[in-house]
Amino acid sequence: MVREGFRGELERADDGIVAGRAMDGDVAAFAVLVRRYTPMMRAYTQRMLNASAEVDDIVQEAFVTAWQRLPEIEEPARVKSWLMRIVSRKAVDRIRARRPVVDIDEIDQAAPESSSPARRAETRAGIAALGAALGELPDAQRECWVLREIGGYSYDEIAEELGVPTATARGLLARARKYMIVRMEEWR
Amino acid sequence: MTDDRETPELRRLGLEPTDLDGHTLEELSDYLDSGRSPADPSIDGSPGCLLALDALDRLRGLGGQLIDADAANGPEVEASWVDSILSGIALDARAGRRIPFLSGDPTEDLGITEGAVRGLIRAAETEVPGLLVGRCRLDGDVAEPGAPIHITLEASIRYGESIPRLTDLLRAEVAQRLSVHTELNVVGIDIAVRGLQEPGSQKEEGR
Repeated sequence: MVREGFRGELERADDGIVAGRAMDGDVAAFAVLVRRYTPMMRAYTQRMLNASAEVDDIVQEAFVTAWQRLPEIEEPARVKSWLMRIVSRKAVDRIRARRPVVDIDEIDQAAPESSSPARRAETRAGIAALGAALGELPDAQRECWVLREIGGYSYDEIAEELGVPTATARGLLARARKYMIVRMEEWR
Repeated sequence: MTDDRETPELRRLGLEPTDLDGHTLEELSDYLDSGRSPADPSIDGSPGCLLALDALDRLRGLGGQLIDADAANGPEVEASWVDSILSGIALDARAGRRIPFLSGDPTEDLGITEGAVRGLIRAAETEVPGLLVGRCRLDGDVAEPGAPIHITLEASIRYGESIPRLTDLLRAEVAQRLSVHTELNVVGIDIAVRGLQEPGSQKEEGR
């Protein structure tokens, strides 16, 4: 009984307490972090890669790394963004292993034509429209957009992650934004 | 540039420099990122730029909402998933320093790890309903028998409980457990209450 109530409390405790315990080696607290942030980390990885085959592998790797590196975290209360950075890095590692060099031509590459009317009808809501538009972007543009708009990376950080000059990252991002804006306007 | 003055909202949104009075979408993104400061009259005075800025602004923040929506609609986190991750981590990773025992058979080398002591400290919370222990730190030379050790720990307390009463209870319980299970010379136990927890709610930190 007491144990039950206690577990519930840990499950509801704020990030600072839970991450602080996990730093100290409390596996139960780490399990709370896994339950709490798996959905978000999966979602981020899925959007970044635009494919689901490797998502669980990447998120799992990210948690293993997080456990090892937890003692280094400076602000346990900010564990959420810290975890997102780790999973982002793991996803980028996969991308770079698969595609060592970004195709610079992609800066000028247009996204494919809009999706079918049926799909458009399903995705009326703005967020769904955004998701669909994101899925239509060429790889490097999509990666830049996710890193910037979801991951909160600076232009320099994006450039470093993707191994391209900052000017290229900016170009890719501008292209991505342009496409997303046009597609979003169509839904308005 | 089209010339639809009567119905500007019907004007097709243009994002090329010719639509933006010579500015580029990159410049406008930077301008938005800087909080439109210092003000640039050539942007603020351009209807094309203002339309594009509005569109950029609407797009902003949607990324976070998209991930939140995806996360909410994603599959449940199954127990087997959590187990598979826990089975892949090294459980002794946080052993910390080794704390020797002096008493007992001098021919035996007995000790306890710092990690185990932290576990002891956390477990004290089971005697203090309404309180959760967070991170804890042992300051002092734990490897040196008799050296003064200062303990600092964080805690959160359920909303409505008395903070002084619960922290006093916890302090006494931690001291008692440490004196039973270790030979540490504990000279102080500081408790920092980091948060109040509302029953049934989970407080998440912002991104």
